[in-house]
Amino acid sequence: MQHAVKHGPSFSTLTVQLAAGETITAESDAMITRTADVSIEPRLNASRSGGVWGTIKALFIALIRKIFGGETMFVNDFTASQAAEIRLAPVMSGHIVHRRLENERILLQPGSYLASGAGLSMRLQWAGLRGLLSKEGIVFVEISGTGDLFMTAYGGIQPIEVDGSFVVDNGHIVAFETGLDFKITTPGGGMLGFFGSGEGLVCNFTGKGTVWIQSRNTGALVDWITRLLP
Amino acid sequence: MKHEFVDKPDFGMVLITFEAAGESLTVESGAMVARDDAVEMTTKMKGGLLSAAKRKVLGGESLFLNTFTASAAGQRLYLAPSPEGDLEQMTLNDEEYILQSGSFMAASPTLTLDTKWAGFKGFFSGEGLFFLKVFGSGELFLNSYGGIHKIELDGVRPYTLDTSHIVAFTSGLDFNIRKIGNMKSLFFSGEGLVCEFQGKGTLWAQTRNPGALAGFLHRFRRVERNTN
Amino acid sequence: MNIDVLYRPAHSMARVELSPGEAIEAEAGAMMGTTTNVEMTTSVGGIKKGLKRLFGGETLFRNTFRAVGSSGEVLLAPSLCGDMTVLDVSSGGWFLQSGAYVASSDTVDLNTKVGGFKSFFAGPGFFILNATGQGSVLVGAFGALEEVKVDGELIIDTGHIVAWKADGKLEYKVEKAARTWWKSLLSGEVLACRFTGQGSVWIQTRNPSSYGRKVGLMLPPKKG
Repeated sequence: MQHAVKHGPSFSTLTVQLAAGETITAESDAMITRTADVSIEPRLNASRSGGVWGTIKALFIALIRKIFGGETMFVNDFTASQAAEIRLAPVMSGHIVHRRLENERILLQPGSYLASGAGLSMRLQWAGLRGLLSKEGIVFVEISGTGDLFMTAYGGIQPIEVDGSFVVDNGHIVAFETGLDFKITTPGGGMLGFFGSGEGLVCNFTGKGTVWIQSRNTGALVDWITRLLP
Repeated sequence: MKHEFVDKPDFGMVLITFEAAGESLTVESGAMVARDDAVEMTTKMKGGLLSAAKRKVLGGESLFLNTFTASAAGQRLYLAPSPEGDLEQMTLNDEEYILQSGSFMAASPTLTLDTKWAGFKGFFSGEGLFFLKVFGSGELFLNSYGGIHKIELDGVRPYTLDTSHIVAFTSGLDFNIRKIGNMKSLFFSGEGLVCEFQGKGTLWAQTRNPGALAGFLHRFRRVERNTN
Repeated sequence: MNIDVLYRPAHSMARVELSPGEAIEAEAGAMMGTTTNVEMTTSVGGIKKGLKRLFGGETLFRNTFRAVGSSGEVLLAPSLCGDMTVLDVSSGGWFLQSGAYVASSDTVDLNTKVGGFKSFFAGPGFFILNATGQGSVLVGAFGALEEVKVDGELIIDTGHIVAWKADGKLEYKVEKAARTWWKSLLSGEVLACRFTGQGSVWIQTRNPSSYGRKVGLMLPPKKG
């Protein structure tokens, strides 16, 4: 499928051209425009394994994504019956980045998934018990296979090459390559640091690989606005 | 210390590269995005424990400051503010600025932050009107909700700015807070307090109003259930 | 009057230059700053009209800014980040989503009574305004603005619509987003607008209601 990202880095949209019979899967509530020859089929947002077990697994993943990632339980399959054009955008302001996976795996923060083409499947990866203390919730989504992935973020997206030990605030992680080891920890600064620093949990990446970070974080937005609410 | 802006002016971040071991930066709570693991972080309460406990937390200000210190040259620190908006850097050379407290993001430890400055005392203050004075020499990083619009005042023509849109101003300016319109206007019109600036100096305004965002989001909040 | 939109597209701000005596009307809360010779008055605009606007979700009062004695400057901005543009109503009216209205010349008529749009639902308090008369309307978007061409037929999510020309070239119908109501609910889209005809529609690349809901649910609850 042909695709283009416009209006970056803050208000990016993804415009795709679908050939007859082609499908793109997108996060719920992502559609801005579509031409008339496109059908919308919502389904649970996990890989399409068949049968009862497949459905139970899919339901579990969707629930976990919702509880810990705040994400919707459903995704939409947009299928064109004739050549069609669809515009997609996420809810938060930010950028969209395309990544072609060639029989690879990549780990995403649950909210970073926007859309994907055929050939990719989704699994959950736990990040340790300490993750449960985090405002963001720490479940990563693993996308694998061969196909087109469209990631989004709150704010701009910046790739960082890690070669050593690098720390990222949990709320700012978009995605990272599976070659990196990661460990969720407190931000530092002792006990006062944990409760007072205003920094949530951080993720310590070690090894060699790329981490994508976003320039804003919803936890910080909530803290900032809450102080101004009546 | 070197700094490089990313994505400026759109929801930008700043990359700080420390140039020597022991170099440090004082940063507003919650602004750290990422750093090399070797950069150390310490947390302290603004103005000491007692004064922090006495002071109400209003206007986007938080009680804590974090200090990041490099252990070697070349270590990196990425910072981003909480609001959707821009960032600006200023180098102060024995100068003085007044900042809306929510606009403060980071400063060299050589700058003095006076959070007890009460220049606006004695008027009807809505929520969100806390200012702090920054003086000395060093680097200062500001943030805004929306973009930053600079207004140069020539000493002849005064300018009126809605107080929620103030980011910072040079301390030499005369200012006067008043309600806009009459009492009815204050309650209904949506505009609250304005500040009339006079004299010679510079005024930095933000192109979005945090109070307006809070007002927009208010209708989407869940309603608290009574536990009767 | 001269309107310049600066800091596009994310942080747009309108700088309005008023000749002596000239006025601009603006949404409550849109004023950022003015030269001190600009006077602000709150216009009720007729109680009945005001009430209609209140139930529609828009704020009840608009403010009129007038330059007194000499030329004056008014800085205006909407509440959410995004772009702004100026629409000329003198060459024909415009339909705009109420949340997109920022300001207008005092020679522009705004009418909330637009037949056939009662079913339009883009979120709590959003409805369609019809701007006619002479002069300009300043509209603000949440996100970037894009003018999309309708060549026959195009389906647009209601929350992303900003404005389109009221010249009769486009027909508009609100319908369910997917084949069935159940699927429409699950899809998150629920309602969509089907535009038919030849023309173009200004859209915004973010949806204020979706953003409001997502962030609003993360905020502490309010007192009932």
